[in-house]
Parts: sequence; structure tokens; C-alpha cells
Amino acid sequence: MSEASAVAGKAGSPDVIARPVRRSVTRAGPARPLGRREDDRGGATAPRLVLAGRRNGEDAVAWLRQRLRPAAAVFLLLVSLFPFLWLAQLAFRPSTDIFSEELLFVPTLDGFASLLQGNFVRSFWNSLLTSTLSTLFSLLIGVPAAYVLSRWQFRGRRHVALWILVTRMAPPIAFTIPFFLAYRWLGLQDTVAGLVIVYLTFNLAIVIWLMQTFFEAIPVALEEAAWIDGGGVWQSFWRITLPLSAPGLTATAVLCFIFSWNDFFYALILTRTNAITAPVAIVNFLQYEGWEWAKIAAGGTLVTLPVLIFAVLVRTWLVRGLAAGGLKD
Amino acid sequence: MSPSLLVLLAITLVPAAALVVASLTPLSLVDPVGTFHFDDPLGNYRELARDQRFLDSLWTQGKLSVASVALQLGVGLGLALLLNGESRILSAARSLFLVPMVLPPIVVALIWKILYSPDVSPLHRGLDGIGLPVRSLLANPDTALWAIAAADTWQWFPFTMLMVLAALQSMPNDPVEAASLDGANRWQLFRYVIFPYIRPVLVVCGMFRLIDSFKAFPLIYVLTNGGPGTVTEVTNYYGFIQAFNFSYWGYASAIATVILAGVFIMSWLVGKLGWNSHERG
Repeated sequence: MSEASAVAGKAGSPDVIARPVRRSVTRAGPARPLGRREDDRGGATAPRLVLAGRRNGEDAVAWLRQRLRPAAAVFLLLVSLFPFLWLAQLAFRPSTDIFSEELLFVPTLDGFASLLQGNFVRSFWNSLLTSTLSTLFSLLIGVPAAYVLSRWQFRGRRHVALWILVTRMAPPIAFTIPFFLAYRWLGLQDTVAGLVIVYLTFNLAIVIWLMQTFFEAIPVALEEAAWIDGGGVWQSFWRITLPLSAPGLTATAVLCFIFSWNDFFYALILTRTNAITAPVAIVNFLQYEGWEWAKIAAGGTLVTLPVLIFAVLVRTWLVRGLAAGGLKD
Repeated sequence: MSPSLLVLLAITLVPAAALVVASLTPLSLVDPVGTFHFDDPLGNYRELARDQRFLDSLWTQGKLSVASVALQLGVGLGLALLLNGESRILSAARSLFLVPMVLPPIVVALIWKILYSPDVSPLHRGLDGIGLPVRSLLANPDTALWAIAAADTWQWFPFTMLMVLAALQSMPNDPVEAASLDGANRWQLFRYVIFPYIRPVLVVCGMFRLIDSFKAFPLIYVLTNGGPGTVTEVTNYYGFIQAFNFSYWGYASAIATVILAGVFIMSWLVGKLGWNSHERG
């Protein structure tokens, strides 16, 4: 009797000790996932020797817990991407099939083909042209400004910083009214040049804002070395600073492109027919051909493509850029 | 000062000044007489204070902004906690969840236009299928604003998720370990260790999104056009209507100036909260 209970006590003790440890480890799981697996195994080895029977059940729970998070993530991901996927599938549906209850259908490119007929191609081209030009110009003007702000202290620097933040945050309508009135006099209404200039208002803010963080990450000592070697400020900037910040520069350029590409408000107001951009063209479809869902969905899918391609190509930097304070409208 | 800063000032400060000047005149393109008339500089603003439609638009804006920002913070925080882990699936999900935020706003509006149009919407079909038909949410004055808030939340929850994930990944392990060794349960761990750490990020996120929500335009333009009636007419949209539908440019400028002032104050607050700490050098 006494021997038996002693054995039972011994047998039980590792389990009793091991359990709270293991539980606390799984609790720490979400915050500290790196070490979890090893800890889990370490905590589990002790009772495994002693109580093989009881372990199966707990193992199953642990197994479930480990799988539950990815499973929940995948499920929620599907739910959250469903609206977009629905748009994409609508683009490939035959127009006779749009209102049908069937989930399966024979995909066709009719929706895309019908886009070729109207002025959608032109609007797409306008969008590409406007976004590219605006990105180029904002980098040309904004990168030196960001460099100045990151390297030289001057009075009023903080005011400049605040103003940049405000232009980044300002509602488009605040700029649209003066620009609209000015463009009427300058003859820049409904021109690509006009749009490119307007897009500078938000893109410059982004370039200055982001490039400043990237420049600040580069040690001044490197530039000073180039200085001592006989190069001027300009040379050290061109030879040292700019190449070192190339990844940041790429991310910034991509963000500028995406913001210009995504703009709707300015293009809606400042263009009519000539310089109309793809987002405005889609809204025109909605307003004048609202029943042609396949065509509209095809247009929407096409407008999304460049953005998605860019986002995939520079995903890591994009994420960093977005987190660093660049946001789009 | 570098010339590039001058360009920035020229294309932003000058229009902003022009906007404020225009807001002091009864400028209207239909009636050009009002150009450069400063007889009654504050007339537009006095009018604003009495304009019930403007005051309603502020209230609508408030409801929409608070609802959608609160939802975004909640959803984004929850997802960040769920996705913060080392696994290939979780890391792929972290990227894919960003899709709504990168989509062109007009595509987001289009997507929700489809979801809210009973004849093509999978939601309406599904509800019909289980015998719970629902009328168009956008045509119903009681639900239209919340339908827009839902679409806005879908578009912007990834932002909070992204920021919170960044904060979680930079969080030191020691406090979490110490607390769990002391026997804190999951909830206590979150409430007393993790949450205090990410709270500043949440505050900044909320401010950023709140400011940005003032310019919500494509969703409203495509989904409801401010209607039914003026139920979804936010301040920004009211300014748009005054300028581009009614041609009351002076009055619209006054509305835009009010919004700009609000944005200015909130940006200043964000700066105070230390978002741009690197600016201080």
C-alpha cells in the first residue's frame, strides 16, 4: 500500500510539475511564437515517459491549437478577399450569365474585349502616362529636398515638416478648388500636364516624408569620407547616399506611382475627355452603362492589375513604406 | 533652402492661400460679379454656422468616421494578434490581408457597389436562398451610412493590422515571459503586458485614419451620391456639391477651409504624440 502510493506519487509528480510549465508556455504562444515549438517539446518529454496514456488527449489539444491559428487565418483571409475575388470572376462571366444562380460558368474574355471598343484603352494609357510622369517629377524635386531636410538643420525646419504632413493629410477638395480655377485661366484643364502637376501636391509630400527616413538611416560618416576624398556634397550624395538608399527609393517610387494611379477625385474634376484616367472611365461605365456588369468588372480588374503587380514585386519595401507613414488616399 | 522646397511651397501653400482668400468672397462662376469682392469677408462663415445642411454633414461625418475607425482598429488589432507568429501560412496571410488597402479606391467602391446591388450581389442571393431577403442597404436611409462604414472598414483595417504587427514584432520578450511565469493567463497577458505596449501605435493609427476619413469620397460618390436624401452626405461631399454642382465657389472654399483647419489641428496633434519624432532631430 505505502509502496504503491509512493510509486503513484513519483509517477504523478513529473506530470504535476510539467503541466503548469507547459500551459504557461502555450499561453505565451501568441506573443512569442519563435520559441514555442521547442519549449512545447521540452515540457512534454517529461510526462511522456511516465503517463503515455493520458498524453494522447492532451497531444490532440496541442496539435489542434497549433493548427487552429493558421486555419482561422486562412478562413478569415478567404472571407476578406471574397469581395475582390467576386469582382474578378464577374469579369470573366459571359454577359448572359451575370444574373444566373450558377456558380460555375464557361469563362470568356468578352468583358475585356468590349473594353477595347470605347475610350477605355485611351484612359488606361493616360493613367500610365500621368502616373509615370508624376512619379518621375516628384522624385526629381522631392529627393534633394528630403536630403536637405535630413542633413541640414535650419530655422523653421519643424514648420516645413508640419506643412508636409498637412499636405499629405489635406482633403483633395482643398487643393481642387484653387487648381480648378487656375487651370481655367491657364488652359491646363483636361490635360495630362495639369494632372501631373496636381499629383505633385501629394506625391512630393510622400517623397520628402519617406526619403528623409531612408537618408537618416545612412551614416553621415560615409559621406564625410567621400568629402575628404575630394568630392563635393553633390558627388557624395550621387555616389554614396543615393546608391545606398536605392531600395528605399524604389519603394518610394512605387508608392508614388500607386497613389497617382489610384487617384480619382482630381481626375474626376480636372479632366473631361482628353486626359480622362482609367478610374474615371470606370465610373462613367457605372453611370451610363450600369447594366454591363461584365464590362465594368473587367475594367475594375484591369485597373487593379498594375497596382497588384507592383505590390507583389516590392512587397517588403512597400510594407515598410506604408508603415513609415505613407498612406494612400 | 533648396529650390525643391520652394516648388513644394508653390504648389501647396499658394493654392491653400488662394483657397482661404476665395472663402472670403462670394465667388461664383455663374455670377462673376462676386470675384474679388471683400465687402463681407466673413459672410460665408456666418452662413455656414446657420446652414443646417452643413451642420448635418458634420454630424454625418462624425458618425461615419467614429464608426469606421473604431471598427478598423478592432478588426486590425484582432487580426494582428492572430497573425503574429512564425509560420509560412501566417506570413503569407500577413501579405495577402493587405490587398484591400492597396486596391484603387474606385475599385473598392465598385466591389461594394456590386455587393450592395441586389441583382448581382452574392450576399443578397445568399440571403434570398435561405429565405431572408433583404432590401438594398444603400437605398434604406437607416442602413446606408453603416453600409458605407462597412466598406470603409474593409478597405482600411489592413492599415491598423500592419502597424500593430510592426509593433508586436519589435516588442521585447522578457515582460511576456516574466508575466507568464508568474501565472498570468492569456487575457491578463494581453491586458497588462501586450496592450500597454501597442497602445501608442493604436492611438496614432486611430488619428491617421480619423484624419483620412475626412476625405472619404469615392465610396460615397459611387455608392450613394450622398443619399438617400442627405443621409450619407459628409462635409467633404457637401463641399464638392457646393462647388461642382452649384458653382458656389466662395462658399465651397469656406467649407474646404474648415476641413483644412481641422486637418491642420489634428496633424499637429499627431506630431505632438511623437509620430514624427525623427523630425525633431
